[in-house]
Amino acid sequence: MKTETVAMILAGGQGTRLGKLTKNMAKPAVPFGGRYRIIDFTLSNCANSGIKNVGVVTQYQPLELNAHIGNGASWGLDGIDSGATILQPYSSSEGSKWFEGTAHAIYQNMDYIDQLDPQYVLILSGDHIYKMDYEAMLEKHKENQASLSVAVIEVPYKEASRFGIMNTDDNDRIIEFEEKPKNPKSNLASMGIYIFNWGRLRSILRTSYSKDSSMSDFGKHVIPAYLDSGENVIAYRFEGYWKDVGTIESLWEANMEFLDPEMELDIRDKGWRVYSKNHISPPHFITEMGSAKHSLISDGCYIAGDVKHSVLSDDVQVKDGANVSDSVIMSGATIGKNVVVKRAIIGENAIIGDNAEIDGTEEIEVLGYNEVMGVTLDED
Amino acid sequence: MRTNKTCALVGNLHRYNELMPLIKRRPLATLPFDSKYRLIDFNLSNIANANIKSLFMVFNEGETQSVFDHVGGGKEWNLDGIQNRFFIHTYQDFIRKEDNNSSYYDVVIDYLRKSKSEYVVYMGSKILCNIDLKTLLHIHQVRNCDMTVVYKKISAEKTNGQDILLTLDNDHTIKEKTFAKDVTDQEEVNLCADIYIIKTDLLIDILQQKQAAGVLGNVESFLREHISSETNAYEYTGYLNNIFDTLSYYRANMDMLDTPKFNSLLYSSQKVYTKMKNEVPTYYSETSIVNNSQFATGCMIKGRVERSLLGRGITIEEGAEVFDSLLFPSNVVKPSATVRCAILDKNVVVDEEVRIEGTPENPVVVEKGTHVTQDIIGG
Repeated sequence: MKTETVAMILAGGQGTRLGKLTKNMAKPAVPFGGRYRIIDFTLSNCANSGIKNVGVVTQYQPLELNAHIGNGASWGLDGIDSGATILQPYSSSEGSKWFEGTAHAIYQNMDYIDQLDPQYVLILSGDHIYKMDYEAMLEKHKENQASLSVAVIEVPYKEASRFGIMNTDDNDRIIEFEEKPKNPKSNLASMGIYIFNWGRLRSILRTSYSKDSSMSDFGKHVIPAYLDSGENVIAYRFEGYWKDVGTIESLWEANMEFLDPEMELDIRDKGWRVYSKNHISPPHFITEMGSAKHSLISDGCYIAGDVKHSVLSDDVQVKDGANVSDSVIMSGATIGKNVVVKRAIIGENAIIGDNAEIDGTEEIEVLGYNEVMGVTLDED
Repeated sequence: MRTNKTCALVGNLHRYNELMPLIKRRPLATLPFDSKYRLIDFNLSNIANANIKSLFMVFNEGETQSVFDHVGGGKEWNLDGIQNRFFIHTYQDFIRKEDNNSSYYDVVIDYLRKSKSEYVVYMGSKILCNIDLKTLLHIHQVRNCDMTVVYKKISAEKTNGQDILLTLDNDHTIKEKTFAKDVTDQEEVNLCADIYIIKTDLLIDILQQKQAAGVLGNVESFLREHISSETNAYEYTGYLNNIFDTLSYYRANMDMLDTPKFNSLLYSSQKVYTKMKNEVPTYYSETSIVNNSQFATGCMIKGRVERSLLGRGITIEEGAEVFDSLLFPSNVVKPSATVRCAILDKNVVVDEEVRIEGTPENPVVVEKGTHVTQDIIGG
């Protein structure tokens, strides 16, 4: 069967605002919500929406991300006519294929898309937490005979100036696009999700790169060019939970929201599962002394201390007397005896020695991956 | 290990009425264990960890749905590679064919021949352990015997009458084998774990002789019969469970709350693999009180849980209390209900304020899918 839609996930962001957490890891690979990584939400959306071919465009620190995605089997993307393909910059005989922007990254990977020869290309970003049916968006795109559809979400007016804002007419046709406007005319923010008719986008990118290389970014160049040339650009309204987790504060906040069993994302919905790579660990163990309240706890954890309002990934150890609250603990971390951890994000395999204290009351504290803090006594 | 040096046979023909109703629709092999495993995961993981790539399993007819559901394509245990293969056969089908049971022999012999492997490992289904089969093969080769059988020193009360016990001359020469029911005066016994390693050619010979003699039986019974002074005995020193009735099953699970035992079985040098489920981490609410218990993922815990093992996707409502119990996946215990010393099979719903109470010596078993609306007091 002919491929109708190819999804391209732009997962290359350096994510500098996440500091230590993205020093050795691309932002979409950052662990989230216990047993997930940020990109799992987008990949699961693709799998659940019936998108069979997904190109994951990476650029910085791709090792962890590549290891996580593999051949896409964890999301069922390893069938006879489906696949997940990691697309990295490389040097070709014409020179380096480093990506200079979102649109440029698509241009550089044109061969991958051409080989599948789709009618539509779905452009996604790999660093948002949300559940969305891309098939429904595609149907609207066809119904509207759009050349480009842009998914938008209503944001509070006071925050609108942080986003790319779409001004539409009564039929949701986009007539104006403003990047981070000081005085926004609407509150429809772009989610960075686009459906393009591939033939049209392809020719625009080719023309640009054979002339002046002006089309490096979708938001800055491609969408304005589409509007200027009078193409039919439609806003697709999304309602539901959507969160950009690009900063320490928002990553922590999204994890805390994820904790709430009543949250809008409805993570337990069996009809729209969020998949992730499975690790092998025994069930978690809460000892005689341990307790867990208002918390999410994953496989392989060993809890001998008190855990409150926190998210614990696989294989975390909380030793006796330790007190963990309002925190995100990534997999394999060890919290020593009588340690106090408050409002913190603890990286994978970090070790906190006995009696230490991490207090993020003022500003969220972050301990990096494999970071060791305090004196660790060799015992047990 | 060269890829086809060893192949494996897993027999699943043990049936113990004392385990009803837990094994009504599933073989002993797919009984849940320690929240997220099934007994067969240990055998399959032992095989995967030894890099054995060819496996033949026998199940009783009528019990296969749970096997196929759990094992699927065998991916989780590395049975789905390009060089890896496994076969599932049903036993009644062999018996039904009225040709002196020869079809059983034909199929097994055919499998063994085609495997082109030098050795066969055999494992039964009722023994739970995390054994290093590579080491077992190595010792078998060093001692140069025709067969090696694994045994474990165990207290006599943990055996069943049908178990084979071994008397040894030194730590690996067998003097005598007896049925457990015929041994009454010993406190500690050497339990035959029904794990064997034997040259493939020799096993084929044994099967052909039995076939020619028209004997009705199976590989395990022939291997047991073949134990003699020529057989090498290998002592397994890790943690092991012998499961043959509800109490032994209940206690084996409860052992997992004992950290050294839990670590010995599940945190040894060999990993134990199981079916992947993509569940959300388990949520503990503000009102939860949990103590000395284990939980798989996907649960929602709002009540009290002590000294218990909970499977995937269980809901314990506010004010509900669970003590000393095993809960299989997808149970719901409603507000103010009490469950004590019980085993709740899958999809059991316990209504508000209902009490289920057994005793540590006689846990109450609630059948799969039961909606419990009235108190069950057992023991």
